[in-house]
Amino acid sequence: MKKRLDVLICGGGACISSQSREFKEALLAAIGEKGLAAEINVVETGCMGPCELGPVMVVYPDGSFYINLKVKDAARIVDEHFLKGRPVNDLLWLAPEARKIVEQKKQVPFFEKQKKIVLSNCGRIDPENIEEYIGQRGYEALGTVLTTMKPAEVALAVEKSGLRGRGGAGFPTGLKWKLALQNPGDRKYIICNADEGDPGAFMDRAVLEGDPHTVIEGMAIAGYAIGANKGYVYVRAEYPLAIARLEVAIRQAREMGMLGKRIFETDFEFDIEMRMGAGAFVCGEETALIASVEGKRGQPRPKPPFPAQRGLWNRPTVINNVETLATVRHIFNNGVEWFASIGTEKSKGTKVFALSGKVVNSGLVEVPMGITLGELVFDIGGGIPDGKAFKAVQTGGPSGGCIPAKFLNSPIDYESLKALGSIMGSGGLIVLDEDSCMVNMAKYFLEFSLEESCGQCAPCRIGLKHMHSLLEKITSGQGTMEDLDKLESLANTVRSTSLCGLGQAAPNPVISTLKYFRHEYIEHIQRKKCSPGVCAALYNAPCENSCPANVDAAAYISYMGDGKLMEAYFKHMEHNPFPIVCARVCPAFCEKKCARGKYDERVAIREVKRLFADWAIEQGMGFTPPKKPRKERVAIVGAGPAGLSCAFYLTRMGYLPVVFESLPVAGGMMKVGIPDYRLPKDKLEAEISVIQGAGVEIRLNSPVSSIDSLFEQGFKAVFVGTGAHQAMPLDIEGSDLPGVVSGIDFLRQVNLGQGFDVGNDVVVVGGGSTAMDAARTAKRLGAHNVRIVYRRTRNEMPAQLDEVVDAEDEGIEMDFLANPLNIVETGGKVSGIRCIKTELADFDDSGRRRPVPVAGSEYRIRANLVIPCLGQKLSLGLTGGKLNLDRRGCIAVDERTGATNVPGVFAGGDAICPSTVIESVAQGRLAAVQIDRYLGYDGKLFERERKPVLVAYDEEAYLKPLPRLKPHLERAETRISRMALEVNRGFSLTEAMEEARRCLHCDRNQPPRPESAVESAPRIEAML
Amino acid sequence: MRKEMNTQEILQRHGKGADELLGLLHELQDAHERHYLPPESLGAAAEHMGLPASEVYGVASFYTMFSLKPRGRYIVRVCQSPPCHLLGSTDVSRELVKELGVQLGETTADGMFTLEMSSCLGVCGVAPAMMINDEVYGNLTVARIGEIIDEKRSAT
Amino acid sequence: MKLEELRAIREKSEKEMALRDGKSRIRVVVGMGTSGIAAGARETLKALLDEVAKRELRDVVVSQAGERGLSSHEPVVSVFEEGKPTVVYGSVSAELARRIVAEHLVNGNPVSGSVIEINS
Repeated sequence: MKKRLDVLICGGGACISSQSREFKEALLAAIGEKGLAAEINVVETGCMGPCELGPVMVVYPDGSFYINLKVKDAARIVDEHFLKGRPVNDLLWLAPEARKIVEQKKQVPFFEKQKKIVLSNCGRIDPENIEEYIGQRGYEALGTVLTTMKPAEVALAVEKSGLRGRGGAGFPTGLKWKLALQNPGDRKYIICNADEGDPGAFMDRAVLEGDPHTVIEGMAIAGYAIGANKGYVYVRAEYPLAIARLEVAIRQAREMGMLGKRIFETDFEFDIEMRMGAGAFVCGEETALIASVEGKRGQPRPKPPFPAQRGLWNRPTVINNVETLATVRHIFNNGVEWFASIGTEKSKGTKVFALSGKVVNSGLVEVPMGITLGELVFDIGGGIPDGKAFKAVQTGGPSGGCIPAKFLNSPIDYESLKALGSIMGSGGLIVLDEDSCMVNMAKYFLEFSLEESCGQCAPCRIGLKHMHSLLEKITSGQGTMEDLDKLESLANTVRSTSLCGLGQAAPNPVISTLKYFRHEYIEHIQRKKCSPGVCAALYNAPCENSCPANVDAAAYISYMGDGKLMEAYFKHMEHNPFPIVCARVCPAFCEKKCARGKYDERVAIREVKRLFADWAIEQGMGFTPPKKPRKERVAIVGAGPAGLSCAFYLTRMGYLPVVFESLPVAGGMMKVGIPDYRLPKDKLEAEISVIQGAGVEIRLNSPVSSIDSLFEQGFKAVFVGTGAHQAMPLDIEGSDLPGVVSGIDFLRQVNLGQGFDVGNDVVVVGGGSTAMDAARTAKRLGAHNVRIVYRRTRNEMPAQLDEVVDAEDEGIEMDFLANPLNIVETGGKVSGIRCIKTELADFDDSGRRRPVPVAGSEYRIRANLVIPCLGQKLSLGLTGGKLNLDRRGCIAVDERTGATNVPGVFAGGDAICPSTVIESVAQGRLAAVQIDRYLGYDGKLFERERKPVLVAYDEEAYLKPLPRLKPHLERAETRISRMALEVNRGFSLTEAMEEARRCLHCDRNQPPRPESAVESAPRIEAML
Repeated sequence: MRKEMNTQEILQRHGKGADELLGLLHELQDAHERHYLPPESLGAAAEHMGLPASEVYGVASFYTMFSLKPRGRYIVRVCQSPPCHLLGSTDVSRELVKELGVQLGETTADGMFTLEMSSCLGVCGVAPAMMINDEVYGNLTVARIGEIIDEKRSAT
Repeated sequence: MKLEELRAIREKSEKEMALRDGKSRIRVVVGMGTSGIAAGARETLKALLDEVAKRELRDVVVSQAGERGLSSHEPVVSVFEEGKPTVVYGSVSAELARRIVAEHLVNGNPVSGSVIEINS
């Protein structure tokens, strides 16, 4: 006879060893006990497969698959599943996909580091059903307080818990209640401040919408503590849903007897009414709020008297913020000690933050006080999107300030934030990345305060207006250094003389940015530049603005859209004489800011450039030397990118400069540092020939003994571009062994054609471009095993992403989060390297996480050659003790002119600060202009009014999602076999033109926009 | 949108204490199909509360959400908070200006829409956002703005 | 109201929340705060109700709540099921809502790729 259920228990060896027999016995016993033996057929089967999950069991007809069964589970399965027909879910096997999700998501730190107290019900219970609230211990605290405590005890308990006001200032809540209780008055009031006005903060709304009863309960407890029978909720009219839900909640609370007379059958009577604001930010200030509740204009008045003495209708009044009141019941439900155990010494409990801005996970988070800013932004917030760099957080809205990267390890509590020049405020926390302009940010918040000033007192009304116009001046490039001083002193005046808290705090955004980001103000004033590309008056297009040499990519890309290669080339040469080199090795700062990326993908500017650069060389494009050269002679030391750029631009101003190079080849690091497969020899030589053709004399094998000797030879000015060719040492045991050679020494030897026996096992230490070059070169020289050891993760590698990807494709292995300990020696030779695993801990000053060793994680890698690539430094000698050095040991220059402390001597490139080719080009060009001025001329170089380049092709056709074109690469197997084979084969002309046409022409005043691209559209004038 | 009621009904719902003034003005304004407080409304409120008309006017003119001149049937408020600004509220305003053919603070000729700004609508997680009367719209795109406005146009 | 009465309500409510009385097997909660609604939670809720009704799933209760916090992932839908971790979905469009009903509620397989939180 067919039974109701067929139960198959695995009798395979593995399951038996995990006690499937014992389970079976228990199951049969339970079945017997429930009298189900006649209905259920229990069978022992052969092995069912997933032995690691045993014992396993399948129940038919529904096919429920149980795993990891224990004897104690038997009764439950019989009771729930066999008897009541409900499979026991926690013992069931989930499909692998489902399991994976469960396991993965548990690891997400967004939830792990949060502690939900205030928000515990939000998103879980139905806010319009009081019973669901009661199901979460709702109104239990009120009942306990009313039936077992005296008012003074309630205030004292809250005082002891350490709860402080969550609305901004952080005044101890219990103390506030105590004062109001002690102050005489025939009537007293409790007001809930739900006038959440700080832009960027919305936790009060979320609580009122998601858990309104928790606020009602908090108000009733507060009312009892101070002796008030009436409470008001003052809520913004902008929150209609919160108002509606609160209305429902108040009604249900009255019906249930939680509001009204004789609450919990005591003599306590309490009721709540709602009052709506009407769009005045100043009403968040407590005296203004009281005026508004009374039905008057919401203007603040001086304190004292404080509201706890004379508040609403001159009666003692306590004003608490929504979050504060929502916390109260938890203190009584879980105990004062419990609450006081969360947080820091002076800031107890949790705080809700509204995380927004440039952060992956935005929204409301609730964390214990004392969590660090870094944990909040990077662990919970998930870090900065698009691989951009963190710049600052703005806390406290228009009354708060900005906190820069070097304070990411600071705990978040009232005192710490105040010490940093910001405030907790209501908990708005806006994350700013490298694209944010701090001057503009300060201006934005000041504008806000200015608009919201109630106008009652002069410092706030007039002072803010003046401050704003000074900021207008600075952000439009008209500011002076005196304006900066004026701004600062005005800010301090407004702070100390305004009537209410809002006026006093309004200058905070300016004061804090002046403190931490003064250099950005100075850049706006002195260089008329806004590096992040925010202040519209100060730049033409994001690509051009972000290029260190201000190469006009917007213009040459426009030319390329119409196939005008020659125009594109000469436009490029106005700012950078190395288009061939930069098309291959530049980090392409321009592309990182390309506005198209916010729509679909960034324009491949660098690859487009490569096409016209190569074409121009093939066509023999070039420049002629000056016809009537200037009589002054200028010497350049070093034929690297800085020196040759300086020399080239000097020819454009009429000089015939002489370049002294100590090596037998020209090009500096471009020649000896970059391998042929990235930058072919002949291409580099061709580019240098163009510079020579323009009137530059290069003397190879000509070391310069001293700068004085150059002046003695009759040179009137000198540019020092000697580079930094000395490697930073790997300072560990065994690093002096043969078989340990630095990346730059290794690459120099190979690039000069001297060959290198790399052996079979090579370990490269470091994560920059030099490390990638060294590893890939070693691979090409025949090493079988090439491994890179880097102390951080792939995301933090300073090398460009395409280099990392190419290296991985070529079979180079990478050990991330590892640091070398010592070189292992066998018979006087390198035989390996011992490393230790690291993990990322707290943050360094630049906002990057510091790698720290993991105890006991040492391991060894076999190696016959170890190549440390840890950066390089200047080799001194030439400076002869005359040139001042900075604290890094580089030549110190005035950033605005490139001038050293010695008159007539200028410097640039790696000699002043290790940098990229394009930065060296910019410094060389700047020095050329300054040398011309130094020699008594006007320093004019390609100066003319800029006009956007108009295009002939049909632009509309490109305003739809179009993927970025990818250049053609040689196959990895082919390229590792030939050192000189260029990996990247670039675009065809058609491809380059198509790609160029994706340009959005941000340099025009009214850029055409692709349809439906708001969230992604170019934000040229955007604030952040 | 709260139910339309006539002035008398609204007045009767409110007590005579001055603290009810803001709520009363909100309701009177919402009940007016042009979303504003004409002199009659202010006068009626003053009389009901027993306050001088000048005081009621003073209060109404202080708060930005009260309007003393006629507005559209739909008040479109664009959020200007930093998160919205960051995620493209400038484009939202530009598109609305284009779509409605009015500048900020103005009302369309047909009396249908008024375009305004709000310092923060408090929905930063779904920025950029706007509010039309009591309804909030988040994650806006240019295409959606057109759809939403068309929907409102055809609803009336 | 006395404290004991409050406790009785609490127990009753707790039972309902924990779905122990056998009336409903799964509780599906849609975040209907302003952020959720602004991101389209009404459409999501409609789709859920419609799909549950169409399939005549008597053991599924669909209800509303405020917002959980992760507003950049609104609309948010949480699935509470006895004895299983709570699964929270983010960015739930009407189509995804229908898939959740079909794949998760009916067949017990959470829809991969859209889960933003698991709570045990």
